[in-house]
Amino acid sequence: MRPESMPAEWHIASILVHLRPERSDAIRAAVSAMPGTEIHIEEAGKMIVTVEAPNEGRIADHMTAMHLLDGVMSAVLVFHHVEPAGVAAEEANGSTDV
Amino acid sequence: MLDRRDFIKAQAVAAAAAAGGVSLPAMAQTSMIAGEDAQLKWSKAPCRFCGTGCGVMVATKDNRVVATHGDMQAEVNRGLNCVKGYFLSKIMYGQDRLTQPLLRMRDGKYHKDGEFLPVTWDQAFDEMARQWKRALKEKGPDAVGMFGSGQWTIWEGYAASKLMRAGFRTNNLDPNARHCMASAAVAFIRTFGMDEPMGCYDDFEHADAFVLWGSNMAEMHPILWTRISDRRLAHNHVKVAVLSTFEHRSFELADIPMIFEPGTDLAILNFIANHIIKTGRVNREFVEKHCNFRLGQKDIGYGLRPENVLEVRAANAKDPTDSKPMSFDEFAAFVSDYTVDKAAELSKVPKERLLALAELYADPKTKVMSLWTMGFNQHVRGVWVNHMVYNIHLLTGKISEPGNSPFSLTGQPSACGTAREVGTFAHRLPADMQVNNPVHRSHVEEGWKIPKGLLPGKIGYHAVLMDRMLKDGKLNAFWIMVNNNLQAAPNTNTETYPGYRNPDNFIVVSDAYPTVTAAAADLILPAAMWVEKEGAYGNAERRTHFWHQLVNAPGEARSDLWQLMEFSKRFTTDEVWPKEILDANPDFRGKTLFDVLYRNGNVDRFPLSEISPEYENRESKAFGFYVQKGLFEEYASFGRGHGHDLAPFDQYHEVRGLRWPVVDGKETRWRYREGLDPFVKEGEGVKFYGNPDGKANVFAFPYEPPAESPDKDFDLWLVTGRVLEHWHSGSMTMRVPELYKAMPIAMVFMHPDDAKDRGLRRGSEVKVVSRRGEILTRVETRGRNRPPRGVVFVPWFDSARLINKVTLDATDPISKQTDFKKCAVKIVAA
Repeated sequence: MRPESMPAEWHIASILVHLRPERSDAIRAAVSAMPGTEIHIEEAGKMIVTVEAPNEGRIADHMTAMHLLDGVMSAVLVFHHVEPAGVAAEEANGSTDV
Repeated sequence: MLDRRDFIKAQAVAAAAAAGGVSLPAMAQTSMIAGEDAQLKWSKAPCRFCGTGCGVMVATKDNRVVATHGDMQAEVNRGLNCVKGYFLSKIMYGQDRLTQPLLRMRDGKYHKDGEFLPVTWDQAFDEMARQWKRALKEKGPDAVGMFGSGQWTIWEGYAASKLMRAGFRTNNLDPNARHCMASAAVAFIRTFGMDEPMGCYDDFEHADAFVLWGSNMAEMHPILWTRISDRRLAHNHVKVAVLSTFEHRSFELADIPMIFEPGTDLAILNFIANHIIKTGRVNREFVEKHCNFRLGQKDIGYGLRPENVLEVRAANAKDPTDSKPMSFDEFAAFVSDYTVDKAAELSKVPKERLLALAELYADPKTKVMSLWTMGFNQHVRGVWVNHMVYNIHLLTGKISEPGNSPFSLTGQPSACGTAREVGTFAHRLPADMQVNNPVHRSHVEEGWKIPKGLLPGKIGYHAVLMDRMLKDGKLNAFWIMVNNNLQAAPNTNTETYPGYRNPDNFIVVSDAYPTVTAAAADLILPAAMWVEKEGAYGNAERRTHFWHQLVNAPGEARSDLWQLMEFSKRFTTDEVWPKEILDANPDFRGKTLFDVLYRNGNVDRFPLSEISPEYENRESKAFGFYVQKGLFEEYASFGRGHGHDLAPFDQYHEVRGLRWPVVDGKETRWRYREGLDPFVKEGEGVKFYGNPDGKANVFAFPYEPPAESPDKDFDLWLVTGRVLEHWHSGSMTMRVPELYKAMPIAMVFMHPDDAKDRGLRRGSEVKVVSRRGEILTRVETRGRNRPPRGVVFVPWFDSARLINKVTLDATDPISKQTDFKKCAVKIVAA
């Protein structure tokens, strides 16, 4: 999923989620429904999720929302990267043409 | 081909996988820093918030912190960050940051009822010195005081201790840590003769069971909680027991969830001790070799003002610390009353769960870690309940080895490092020494190179007593640093605020932001914070962690260290020390306190050339020597050689912290056990060397009820505490827009049926009312905290809804720590 149209900045963060394995279906559905999120890896009660957003507030909102989901023990931030949105979009567009 | 976005995303995933111990098939781990970020200057620092002590990497550019991330090399957090840590880079840049001293003025001079107007540092210190000298002249050293913090850096706390005790000759120095872990610290000393945990965070990876006694680690210690979650999810045999007075986020991981009636943890712990004894699972050899048994004093009152009926009625309110020896058999008989039936009746926890909990401790094959914070410490029987948890670890010998660990967590970044180790309490000196011990005082006088007999032996006012003495007009010149006491203190409308506005008093607040405390002061001094100065913190696992100054503070803001030392120049020994001492030590005549405390040949020993050329150091440049190093080395000399050993100063700038005692450059993870602790000799096995006989003390105490319980007029228990997004009083986190938005107001969490009975529902505007005060807020019945019927929870971060107007100033009579977890309120529609 692409970030929204023409924001000034583009943020990406990865979040490590600890969860009750037996509730992973519901958690997967809830996390996937949050805009800008993508689940990359799931393994024995852990989930690695990236969040893309036009500002860090949105990322924090998602992280807190994940932390508070039923069956989630914790959602903590590992990686956060910001750059001017234009650069990422241009390069991204350029590469899709290849 | 990967585009840039995919590339960065892959890096993000790789970093998370590495930090979370998740395997990542066929993907190269790349540098975490990409593109532009590579040009930033990255340095290490501990997080500014809780006592966990996470390592963060801090990026600076053009004298500004522009980014932070979890430090992959930090053992504590291994690259992880909680939501507060995520916003560390923003805490220094709130819109209303204080940048110049502000004095209440009318007609061009100080006036108690004047308006805050900007003044220079000279004007500020002139007025302040005039007020201090007035108080000292009129009433002597008892009339001046300072309220510091577990957020002071180690050298700030140490410089403050010297200024108050040796400079002004008073022990009226206490940290806000009194409100958060005094009960834990006192029980450590009484049990082991030495403060702070024997174990460390490595216990998380060794334990088979975790018991949370009141602590909500999922929200308050989220990074440590990931380590417990990891252990639980990867090992099926591992059990987690969670005890609390209401259901919260940590219950997600609970195998044994328990909601208990406030205050009945005492009965539950005595039941566990009884269960261990009755089922024959006492580790007899351990107990015989390593434990003494003592019968403690009962009916000790509630630390209220002495004229309060509860104090008058208590049989032993005057000597709450007394105890006498008893035998193991007498101890066994004492706890034999606490059957599972009695514990279940008092606590309202089902019997099966109490038995399952007791078995975690009793079963010799289960390695158990007990964890607690404010639930135990903010308790009118906080010292007792801390003792009781040591009792069950000692009876079973489950202590001082990997995974068997009674572990007291802390809430402030340097509650251990500064408040406890440096000794900024009204009764303490460095390295666990005590002000009322003449041998300890004499030792400190030698180390500080000050005249013999100078240090006062009388224990100073503790936090709650300071507020009472301000109100009563006995404490008149008062300096508050790095804390927001008007928001944090109990019963604040009745007992704290009147003292600040008492016309006899002059109140100074040093802070980075205009807190409610600053607004009630007479002089506000703008403070440098966190990486605006070189610093050192000590976390909950005895880890001492340093950082360099990375940026300059804005405007005229200066560090507390600079403020303390600069202020000391305004006093000469002739003004503040007694004539007899100066007659006997004429060399000290006519010198400033700065000269005798900080230019004493120790503190000024290291030249500016020893400062790393890569970093600024404003205080050292101002005073002409490497201030932090000199203070640290003088301080460390008190602890070396007897189990409080700190490493040489420079080593800490190279590493991600070290856990003391550090002997021959090596840290100590578990204390008191041969092979793990260098102070336990070959053949000794276990030795609690803090006590002269090498043994730990097991204390017998009964269950006693809280100071105030619900009745027909005030029919609900009020419990206060924190939430994930905000740290303590919110002075920093409420200024980060993203965190503010996530949790803007403190609501009252209550059971939906309790709401319904009062004609209320989720979102209703209500008053929370006690006999002392009230606040206006809204009802939350569905949130993350779910109290049982009869209990409500209100967090205290919100300065617009000061729940401490409602709380009771009852304290533990031994530790003098307030019980913020138990008082009676009613909830009515607003």
